[in-house]
Amino acid sequence: MENDLRSTLDHIFESLLVLGPEVILSIGILLVIIVGLVKKEHAIPTLLSLLIFSFSFLFIIADWKALAEPISLFQGMLRQDTFSLYLRGLADIAGILTVLMSWRNQESQRNLSEYYALIIAAVLGTHLLVMSTNLLMVFLSLELISISSYVLTGFVFDKKGAEGSLKYFLFGSVASAVMLYGLSMFYGFTGTLDFTSEVFFTKLYPSQTPLFFIAGLMTVSGFLYKIAAAPLHPWAPDVYEAAPMPIVAFFSVVPKLAGIGVLTRFIMAINLRGAASYDWQFVLGIVAILSLTVGNFSALMQKNPKRLMAYSSIAQAGFLLIGVIAFLPQGIQFMLFYATIYVVMNFLVFIYLQYFEKNGFVSIAEYSGIGKTFLWPSIFLLIALISLTGLPPTAGFTAKLFIFSSLWEAYQLTGKNILVWLLIFGLLNTVVSLFYYLRIPYYAFIKNRESELKTNILAFENLFGFVLVLLILLFFFSPGLLMGWINKITFVFVIRYPLSVIG
Amino acid sequence: MFPIHHFLLLAAFLFCAGLLVIIVKRNAIMVLLGIELMLNASNLNLVAFNQLHPAQLGGQMFALFVIIVAVCEAAVGLAIVLRIYQYYQTSVPDEISELRDS
Repeated sequence: MENDLRSTLDHIFESLLVLGPEVILSIGILLVIIVGLVKKEHAIPTLLSLLIFSFSFLFIIADWKALAEPISLFQGMLRQDTFSLYLRGLADIAGILTVLMSWRNQESQRNLSEYYALIIAAVLGTHLLVMSTNLLMVFLSLELISISSYVLTGFVFDKKGAEGSLKYFLFGSVASAVMLYGLSMFYGFTGTLDFTSEVFFTKLYPSQTPLFFIAGLMTVSGFLYKIAAAPLHPWAPDVYEAAPMPIVAFFSVVPKLAGIGVLTRFIMAINLRGAASYDWQFVLGIVAILSLTVGNFSALMQKNPKRLMAYSSIAQAGFLLIGVIAFLPQGIQFMLFYATIYVVMNFLVFIYLQYFEKNGFVSIAEYSGIGKTFLWPSIFLLIALISLTGLPPTAGFTAKLFIFSSLWEAYQLTGKNILVWLLIFGLLNTVVSLFYYLRIPYYAFIKNRESELKTNILAFENLFGFVLVLLILLFFFSPGLLMGWINKITFVFVIRYPLSVIG
Repeated sequence: MFPIHHFLLLAAFLFCAGLLVIIVKRNAIMVLLGIELMLNASNLNLVAFNQLHPAQLGGQMFALFVIIVAVCEAAVGLAIVLRIYQYYQTSVPDEISELRDS
């Protein structure tokens, strides 16, 4: 008995040592709140949260180098592998970019320490969610992201902000309640909460009743809600319009990374190593087709750039899903490549939307002629939008090419019709997206206006944007730089316990 | 001991009742109530399934965590509804429509 306890404690301690980034983020939440109570200067919480994200990122790099093979932490609660490390690193980078954007934002200057604490909490939730192999951890970390997001939506403190957070809250909590019911059914079928374990597979495999399908749908819908895929997307435009710009950029990236990460893991588990009698590829294929179509066609009619980007992010979720639907290790690698490029280009767009909003241009119609007064910002925004469309010479083109090639390969392996339809819809939607993405540059460069505003070319946004533009071009000309890292990611979904094995 | 399907049927009924309340009732507070019903349906499920797997305690643990998360969610939800009431003098989501496709 005493030995059991000791080995369990040792195991928990060992797991904690591996969990450096999460420990830093957790301490960071408390630190930011305490510092906000003591010091009144605005700069301090900003710098502190930058520091926290950077430290967490450095820890992830160190872990990446040290990690030999996947390990299971806290007796199968979490799993440390290269897949989760990559997504966690990406979430930290998105956190850093969000803090930098908030620093330049005038809207979000009230209650700064709480604001940053909530951002860090959402990133912590993302970290835990992409590592989760346990149904309980999945629920808890998803709620950590959700509850922080509901509050962050309302951080402009006006009518619209309150409405946005109410809508987000109502949609979100219903989605998570439905997901929880699905999770409880999976516990009933298998008697284990660890969805990567052998027991989970052996219990589910012989009894694939329709109930199994319903439970799977309910659970997956919780994840699809987080990435704003089509039947579960109606919250996105309203929330994006209401929230402050840095938070919109954050929402368009971080919860998507979290959702797609856990979806990948979970769909692998309920696909039962390809032996499932229900075709999850078909289900996700339908969802992806719907997301692409609904997102792109609704975006055509938008007048507000924030709403336009909301529908664009719904369509981009469809593209991310394509990488998962291929059900190939290569597809998931390309999905990670796409996610990385997506982070870069989306932040580039939102930095300049914020810059223009600060200068008084709110709707797309007001953008007419700004290409002359704000030459470089408009050019950088144009490059980002071209990349989102997927045209060369930007990395968006490379990413889309990779995603579609993995889909084609999956079709040749399985010969399923849904994959061809997905390919056709994906290509057609890329053409549709051209019309709305290029509307902003059309107003900016082709339409005229008479105004002589002097702008500072050395503004912080331009420096920041220049770096991101360089990244987009760099990954087009040599995608190997990024793929070299991604190729190291393994997809062995088998559990290995660390040193002390617990019986 | 009651057979397990009694509990499961009750849980399914609670879940459907919660979903129905969310769809039918217009007031945000009532929607919160519905969400609470749905969460408790899952709780009942989790605890009841322990009859099938007596060696496991995962379900009970899960239920405890769900109770805590439900409290957090209700706290945040009520705060948001309060703020909505300050701005709009109503807590009916249908009457609040500043944000919409133009």
